[in-house]
Amino acid sequence: MMLQGPGLTDLHAVVDEVWSSFLGHEEPLLPALPDPASAGGITWSAATSVTGAWNGVVTVEIPDAVAHTATERMLGLVAGQALTTEDVADAVGELVNMIGGNVKSLMPGPSVLSLPLVARGTIASPSDLAEVSCLDLTWAGAPLRITVLARRDAPTQAADRSARNSADTRESA
Amino acid sequence: MSIAESSFHYVADLVRRETSMLYQQGKEYLVAARLLPLARESGDADVDVYVRRLKTDASERRKAIDALTINETSWFRDNAPYQAFTDVLLPQAIAARQATRKVSIWSAACSSGQEAYSLSILLDQQLPLGWTAEILATDVSTAMLERVKAGRYSQVEMNRGLPATHLVRYFTRVGSEWEVSPELRRVVTTQHLNLATTFPPLPTFDIVFLRNVLIYFDLETKRDILRRIHARVAPGGALLLGSSETTLDLTDSWEREAVGRVQVHRPIQPAAAFGLAAPTRAAG
Amino acid sequence: MHALIIDDSRAMRSILRRIVTDLGYETTEAEHGQAALDHLEGGLAPDLCLIDWNMPVMDGYTFVQRVRDDTRWRDVTLMMVTTESEHGQIVRALAAGAHEYVIKPFTPDAIVNKLELLGLLATEVPA
Repeated sequence: MMLQGPGLTDLHAVVDEVWSSFLGHEEPLLPALPDPASAGGITWSAATSVTGAWNGVVTVEIPDAVAHTATERMLGLVAGQALTTEDVADAVGELVNMIGGNVKSLMPGPSVLSLPLVARGTIASPSDLAEVSCLDLTWAGAPLRITVLARRDAPTQAADRSARNSADTRESA
Repeated sequence: MSIAESSFHYVADLVRRETSMLYQQGKEYLVAARLLPLARESGDADVDVYVRRLKTDASERRKAIDALTINETSWFRDNAPYQAFTDVLLPQAIAARQATRKVSIWSAACSSGQEAYSLSILLDQQLPLGWTAEILATDVSTAMLERVKAGRYSQVEMNRGLPATHLVRYFTRVGSEWEVSPELRRVVTTQHLNLATTFPPLPTFDIVFLRNVLIYFDLETKRDILRRIHARVAPGGALLLGSSETTLDLTDSWEREAVGRVQVHRPIQPAAAFGLAAPTRAAG
Repeated sequence: MHALIIDDSRAMRSILRRIVTDLGYETTEAEHGQAALDHLEGGLAPDLCLIDWNMPVMDGYTFVQRVRDDTRWRDVTLMMVTTESEHGQIVRALAAGAHEYVIKPFTPDAIVNKLELLGLLATEVPA
């Protein structure tokens, strides 16, 4: 069964637009060869999933330095200012949210985008997901990787948003 | 958010010199709003500090000019000419063309086509039933003409100047881009044309848009271009140039008329030069 | 003029806040639609709401519906700022009563331009 995913050109265009809109034009995003050795340094991984007519996950993996610079730019902070883990998680989450949201609109709909999940370290992909696109880039000398995975078997029903919402509102009631 | 009077004058003067576009009194807030993102990017505390930077930094000046003239890729650029089209020029063309029920428009130096398709949107909304319209979009660049034919624009281009209601009505998603609808496309034809040389056979137009392109030519060529265009505009028709471009000093075969907030140029017919009555259009 | 910025991402709220305060706006922030409604119920009278779609508790689309259902808030301009960029989603939002729609990612001048279209650029220049 052929798994669908966004073409690399479209994926690259999406990442480019997200990066240049919020992280500036001075350093361009350049294509890179995947280099396991350069995965040194703590990596941030963020993921968002798309559920519906197309089911998949979009992940962004970036080293600490990229995560910090991105956070500084998005929060409008002076370079080198102390950042909390929450700050970085929030900024990286928003990046994957924007990339994931645009990937969602490239794929057949209707579908729903999940809230982002951010972790330090790499997210291992479960066996029911297969990679359909992988983009390796460098930004100011640091590596980043954006991956799109698609589910091998579609779930029997789309994620129940109202169930998730009512689970969230239980605490604030 | 503010801008000092002297900064505003410097910037208005710079833009007028480089692009002929006018920022007049009352538009200070717009200049401040458009320069502030650039000031931030340069690390300047405010717009006045940034304007001081402009005096010695040529590449920043370029960026500032782009931001202030919202470069060519904008829908309904400057808005006022499209307002004049809606309020006066199209109604006049309709009044004049009762016999043929067809309106002809020329978007000369059409670039990527946003002007032509913006006009197409207005025609779709305002042309009476049973009427046809043709918009001829010409450019010297075949690459640009391909873009117009494709009618596809990036998300960033779509965010500028286009109300969301027009976006959903007249465009569909194709990959990461947006493509014009068949209804908009139907009315637009493209043709390769170099303004600086003899024109190929062309129809007579009711309205010609020749915006912000004459500035790229020398005086003699400007005169030639206007002379060639004069022959292709219907009596009582209209020529629109850029915000403050004018035919003044260039030729006395055009009469200038204020329509809304723009200057419209009407071709003076040879007979009128001898004091004979020329056909005129009903006032809008 | 006052803007209510509604997005579950602090980074995005920060970006939007900087853009509109540069234009002379004062701002209030909310993490989701319910928190935003609470502000309105509490008497906040913004000229403009910038609204994300996907948020926990109450999403932006529902917020738009609730605001447009209530005559108290009929003068508030509602502008979605979201990654939802399918044609059908934009139609839904406009049909629900959103006045404008900005697709993420966006550059600051896109927001400025939309506010210009809406006549919501503060025109007074403070001394």
